[in-house]
Amino acid sequence: MLLWMLILLPAIAGGLCYLIPSDDERIVKMFGILVAVATIVLAVVTRNAEVSARWLSRPFEANFHFGATPISFWIVLLLTISTASAVLATKGPRQRGLIALLLLLEASMLAVFLARDLLVFALGWDLMLIPVFFCLVQWSEHAQTAWRYFLYNFAGGLTLLLATAAFGMHVGTTDVIGRSDVHVIGSWAPWILAGFAFAFLVKTPVWPLHTWMPATYTDLPPPMVAVVSAVQSKAGLYGFIAIGMAFLPDYMKQYAGIFIVLGAISLLYGALVALMQTDAKRVVAYSSLSHLGLIVVAVFAFNAVALQGAVVYIVAHGLFSAAIFLLLGYVEEREATRSLLQLGGLGADNPRLAGALCIAALAALGLPGLAGFVGEIVIVTGIFQAGMVWPAIVALVAIVLAAAYVVRLFQGLMNGPGVPDLPVRRDLTWIEGLAVAPLLAALVVVGIDPKPLLSFDTSAYAVSAHGAPVASARISR
Amino acid sequence: MSGALPVAIGNYLGLSTAIFFIGVAGVLLRRNPLVMLMSIELMWNAANLLFLAYARVWLNNAGHIFAFLVITVAAAEAAIGLAIIVTVFRTRANVDVDEVHALRG
Amino acid sequence: MHYPLLLAIWLLPLAGAILCWFLGPQLKGAAGWLACAMLGLSFVATMLSWSSGTQHVAGHEGAHQLLGSWLPGFDFGLLLDPLSLIWATIITGVGFLIHLYSVGYMHGDRAFARFFAYMNFFVFAMLTLVLSDNFIGLLVGWGLVGLASYFLIGFWFDRPSAVAAARKAFVINVVGDVGIMLAIFILFANLHSLSFADVFAGVGSLSTGTLLAVCAFLFVGAAAKSAQVPLHTWLPDAMEGPTPVSALIHAATMVTAGVYLIARCAPLWSHSSGAQLLVGTIGGLTALAGAILGTAQWDIKRILAYSTMSQIGYMIMGVGVGAYQGGVAHFFTHAFFKAQLFLASGLVIHALANEQDVRRMGGLAKKLPFAFVAMGTGVLAICGIPPFSGFFSKDQVIYGTLAHGHPWLYAVGILTAGITAYYMCRLLFVTFFGEYRGDVDPSYLGIRHPELAGTAAHEAAPSTHDHAPAWIMSVPVGILIVPTITIGFLMAGGDRSWWSRFFAAQFPAGHVPATAISELQTTLIVLAVVVAGIGIAVWRYATRTAQDDAVERLRAESVHMPAILSNAFYFDAALDMLFVRSSQLLGTFFGRTLDPQVIDGAVREAAWSAGKLGTIVRWFQTGLLRTYAFLIVVGAACFIAYYALAGGMH
Repeated sequence: MLLWMLILLPAIAGGLCYLIPSDDERIVKMFGILVAVATIVLAVVTRNAEVSARWLSRPFEANFHFGATPISFWIVLLLTISTASAVLATKGPRQRGLIALLLLLEASMLAVFLARDLLVFALGWDLMLIPVFFCLVQWSEHAQTAWRYFLYNFAGGLTLLLATAAFGMHVGTTDVIGRSDVHVIGSWAPWILAGFAFAFLVKTPVWPLHTWMPATYTDLPPPMVAVVSAVQSKAGLYGFIAIGMAFLPDYMKQYAGIFIVLGAISLLYGALVALMQTDAKRVVAYSSLSHLGLIVVAVFAFNAVALQGAVVYIVAHGLFSAAIFLLLGYVEEREATRSLLQLGGLGADNPRLAGALCIAALAALGLPGLAGFVGEIVIVTGIFQAGMVWPAIVALVAIVLAAAYVVRLFQGLMNGPGVPDLPVRRDLTWIEGLAVAPLLAALVVVGIDPKPLLSFDTSAYAVSAHGAPVASARISR
Repeated sequence: MSGALPVAIGNYLGLSTAIFFIGVAGVLLRRNPLVMLMSIELMWNAANLLFLAYARVWLNNAGHIFAFLVITVAAAEAAIGLAIIVTVFRTRANVDVDEVHALRG
Repeated sequence: MHYPLLLAIWLLPLAGAILCWFLGPQLKGAAGWLACAMLGLSFVATMLSWSSGTQHVAGHEGAHQLLGSWLPGFDFGLLLDPLSLIWATIITGVGFLIHLYSVGYMHGDRAFARFFAYMNFFVFAMLTLVLSDNFIGLLVGWGLVGLASYFLIGFWFDRPSAVAAARKAFVINVVGDVGIMLAIFILFANLHSLSFADVFAGVGSLSTGTLLAVCAFLFVGAAAKSAQVPLHTWLPDAMEGPTPVSALIHAATMVTAGVYLIARCAPLWSHSSGAQLLVGTIGGLTALAGAILGTAQWDIKRILAYSTMSQIGYMIMGVGVGAYQGGVAHFFTHAFFKAQLFLASGLVIHALANEQDVRRMGGLAKKLPFAFVAMGTGVLAICGIPPFSGFFSKDQVIYGTLAHGHPWLYAVGILTAGITAYYMCRLLFVTFFGEYRGDVDPSYLGIRHPELAGTAAHEAAPSTHDHAPAWIMSVPVGILIVPTITIGFLMAGGDRSWWSRFFAAQFPAGHVPATAISELQTTLIVLAVVVAGIGIAVWRYATRTAQDDAVERLRAESVHMPAILSNAFYFDAALDMLFVRSSQLLGTFFGRTLDPQVIDGAVREAAWSAGKLGTIVRWFQTGLLRTYAFLIVVGAACFIAYYALAGGMH
């Protein structure tokens, strides 16, 4: 029951935002914050809950079946927290629409990450395009960006839907997420994997399917891009783990080489490009390409340690990228520019802003003691253990490059002589600080004690169990 | 076994076909949207006639159900169609369908 | 066994850092005293732990305190054995004195509390490094000291040069971190544990190649942190930080972390002669290169920076070839006398309103007698004049290289000792002897860019002090003079010395084969070379005639400085070309060309084709209702015709 509430509450509240008969945007914001905090509570309470309602029985079984898995619980928590932060950080004259879209986005992503049914997963997958698309249409200065985002991701959604349908026809049901006894075998299986993989690679994104991402991240308003980069980009990675590894492990392994190469290219490519960007948001956008490439490599290492690291890094990247994008939003709001060539010396007058950005940036470059380090070192230990020496070395080179571009970003904004012709600066207000504080605190907590995130059972994924009795019998027809 | 019909099925077929093509001709040849709507109604009813006739022939109630469905849809369609016509008339003071081509590609 | 004191040593500085950071605006000037108190308590705790650090329990030496598990199956704990005890003593003891000094030196700085927060944080990080009982903890400390160093080098972050120096130091240190990570991965893949005890117990099961790889990657970390060739280029730039920072981090403690790492991993190195040769050679090269470059510097802090690099080269050479006791001994004495040299230079810089160019000093012995005494004892110690502390430890290192079968390194060590004596005395004579040259036009002294070298650009501390240093700065220097002179006696007496007994269990002396040159002869040779070095310095800078035309001589030396020396052997340029420029070029190419034009170009091309198709299909959309209706009828007719014909054929 509570789980239904968790999914429906932000959806309904998002619609209500448009209806609240008030010109006072503060009321809308208060309402949005209340809803967002309620979803955090509900997400924690419903950690072990499951609900289900029948949907289709022909041509294959599909149910509105929801419930957190041990891995998705953390992503759901990340989603609810980052949405609350984003709602808290909304500003400006068009707050109402932004808050509504944030809540609708949360609802659709809750459907994705809580889905225990592939068809529901696919449904949520397509729904979560819509709020971002409309946000781009309204906020972006370039009409092209919205369409580029939509077309790329909708193409992915299409292959995902086709793959889901094929999966349903083969297995007889799509109500499978979280089960470990379903394995798709047969001549169609590689095509099913291809359909899923294309969608996941576009969403993550992975080189060379990434060109929608820098434009989208740059043009979205900061609260929205915080949630999109923190959580929406994880949908593909979650899909690889929860769907690919669980149901198509043999084919994942067979074609792992391709994905590892793509992941490693993303890892290095993103870092090198981030090194030379002058737009602060683009630096972070390309750094995301790099960081998420590492997680792709980790998933395809098929190693228990690497998988644990991947989960930690999914959460860690979500936390620090959300924090960095929110803080960059504050900077842009104050200085009306994001160009590293024009900014500088903000730290002198904005010690709190500088301190907050410093923590987030240090987590991004993998400083020991913060969450990013745990993820990185556990992942690379895992892929090294799996015998993948070259991807591990690429990852380490990327760590050095990350240090370079993150420090360049931080120093470009906060250090150096102040630029005289910039407007008067004002340090973080307490609301602005409150918006990023939970993210930064979580980075520290996860960095010091990451054990809770590692407590899931990897044997369901990492161990290559061949042949599942129930499903493979039905598949072999 | 087929049920008894007072009139041979061939007559129903002939009548239905005739009504249907009168409707088609009306849609193709007339430029007044009201008349076009009525022509569409004719086509619906031609289909209805066949549904009912064959329902009697095969002693199957599905035909009746479909006829009701068609009547409902036809009513809805007429309502929307009239609404569109009224709106077009209000904005353009003219309902000639050859004059209304804002959707040209 | 529980050792709450160990936790106190470790966490008190962290508490100080947090308090100074968050209560800085409230504490104001008290922040310095708070930081000093925390560190002083930590030092007391270290002293009180001395007995537990040297005890023998169940075959293991020292005190071990488990803190809990970090990752599943991976325990994190603190370990205090003689080696970490020595480091902890220096970190907290010398650190305390430098904190005290900083209260005076940083007085009035806008970010006074922030400075002490960083300093205390550094001490915490360094203690994490040396007290950890496993490689992950060591790596955590390794990364955190790099961060503290970054903060403190860039402390005056409105100066572009400080910002650039901080970035350079940080990135090079991350290269080192990555080296250690690689070593950790290899160890974990082979031994499935990262605690020191397990790894050292499992050394025997590693193949020679694996062991060499582990040592080589560990040494990448050590080289980056300890400024070994070719990763040393950040250290001279790091002098952009406040002088107490240079004394604590870039002389006494952090830069010796590499020495600690190799001494800690002595069981690995002892099993790999290849690693010993590699590390010993790099250490020797660094000692020599640092000393040669030290002769060509004019900035008082850069001279000391290159001398630090050179002296750490000695230490690395010592621990590298297996003379662990000697290498650690040189760390111990060096921490005292180099801290003292830096603090003394800070007194000079402070008194001269932030002048750092030695050519604009001179004759300061009369003006600043206390600084002169402090600097003088430091110079005697670093030259290795008996009975000053450096004499004992440097001899141990130099003789150790011979005893472990590396005659070439032995020769390098002796040569470097001579050069060291020369450039350190040059520093002393140019700064303190002769006439004061601060009022001479900089161009007469051969200073090419006086606006860069002069007061304006350097040490933009808030207030300029013309007066003699306050007692709060003098007292720590005075205290440091005592160990600088006397601490070497701990190492006197060969195998029976206190030092040898202290490390007898950790670094057993083993069987040392007879050498062609005995230890006593070595001492005499080194002394002779040192005296020669001092002699050259006296001849060039301290004789009556040299002092009379000092301005002319300094100008000549500046103008005729060989380019290879003034460019520091082109290490910076080479690293820049090889790594920085190449990645920037790649990044620009990817970001400007490949991404928007090739990859996105392909996507745009596909979109354009779709659009083109659309314009063709557009023709069908007339917008006329009756056309559509007609087409529908035609379509339906075609359908019916098709099925009628197909039905007819069957």
